Amino acid sequence: MNCLDYRRQLLAGSGEGDAMRVHRLGCAACTAEWAQHGAFEEALRGALQVAVPEGFVERMARAPALRRRRFLAAAAGTLLAAGVGGYAWLARQDPLAMACIDFVMKEEAKSIMMGPMPRDEARRMLAGTMPLEAVERVGQVKHVGPCPFNGRNAYHIVLTVPQGKVTLLVMPGYRMDGPRRAAKEGMSAAVMAAGDGSVGIIGTDVAVVDSVMGALKA
Amino acid sequence: MPANFEELVRTHAADLFRYAFWLARDSQQAEDVVQEALLRGWRAFPRLRETAAARAWLFSIVRNEFHRARGTAAPAAESLDGLELADERSELIGLELRDALLALPAAYAEPLALQVLGGFSCGEIARMIGVTEGATMTRLTRARQMLKRLVEPRARKGAKP
Ligand SMILES: [Zn+2]
Repeated sequence: MNCLDYRRQLLAGSGEGDAMRVHRLGCAACTAEWAQHGAFEEALRGALQVAVPEGFVERMARAPALRRRRFLAAAAGTLLAAGVGGYAWLARQDPLAMACIDFVMKEEAKSIMMGPMPRDEARRMLAGTMPLEAVERVGQVKHVGPCPFNGRNAYHIVLTVPQGKVTLLVMPGYRMDGPRRAAKEGMSAAVMAAGDGSVGIIGTDVAVVDSVMGALKA
Repeated sequence: MPANFEELVRTHAADLFRYAFWLARDSQQAEDVVQEALLRGWRAFPRLRETAAARAWLFSIVRNEFHRARGTAAPAAESLDGLELADERSELIGLELRDALLALPAAYAEPLALQVLGGFSCGEIARMIGVTEGATMTRLTRARQMLKRLVEPRARKGAKP
């Protein structure tokens, strides 16, 4: 390493490696350069740290929740104003999506009490529709079990994602065009096509349902 | 997977704002860009698999949102060959460092912000802005060279009457 190498590497800003240090310790000119450069980096950091507007971090931390609340309030308002004619998909209640919500409200607890199915079996049964591995990439799987649903064999998955709990109903062999939606009593559901069948996603928050749906598709 | 999106935002929002500022050079625009970016991030959050990657992920979303808002594709592999500090800028010499940064072309200021504010390595920055690691190092080196020239008092160059 020569003085030119030393200075060029110093300017790249990745810090001083061993080879650089060895050169500097034997070179008065580069030692002077190094001291000056340290002061420059300090000043550079200060200059880049522009002031953050008052309350900015707090506003950002709460923005998604606020936007979500405004959206739900607007949707509810539209429904009321139109006498339940209004908000496109909230008003067009799909019966299958509605059945998914009913399942969560009335049957979910019982289904969990029936106990989970062995993991190997779950993997095999879900593989063609919504592979268990794909679900595990989206959140933590708390329960997988078989459950009769809508007159068919379906699989019930309880999933936790950072925003909370979500229920999946995997329906092999039941093909449809999605997504279909419904909402009631603070629950929201979407049913989407997946593999050889479809998957219902049910949660308390439409944004989280959408987010999980997007993640499962990915 | 990180426990909580809000927590993630509280940890990184200030630096995301500063980064957006050095992209947009405007406080209001920077705030709008970060706000939109975080909404997108919040929707995509369940797809994020590693907490360790969260900071780089957030910076990338801000970058994409900035270019989306501008209506420009992210200028990934733009060539900077020959883009040296123009001679006519020499009257700027003696600037305060922050003004010098504002005078720096964005293609130089951005990797600098990612390195110094973001704490990212040359390799990480290269991936984020879509150029090679070598090109990133060149930009970082030239950025500092330019800044040093811009802040250098004229007197030392003997140019002052
Ligand atoms: Zn030397």
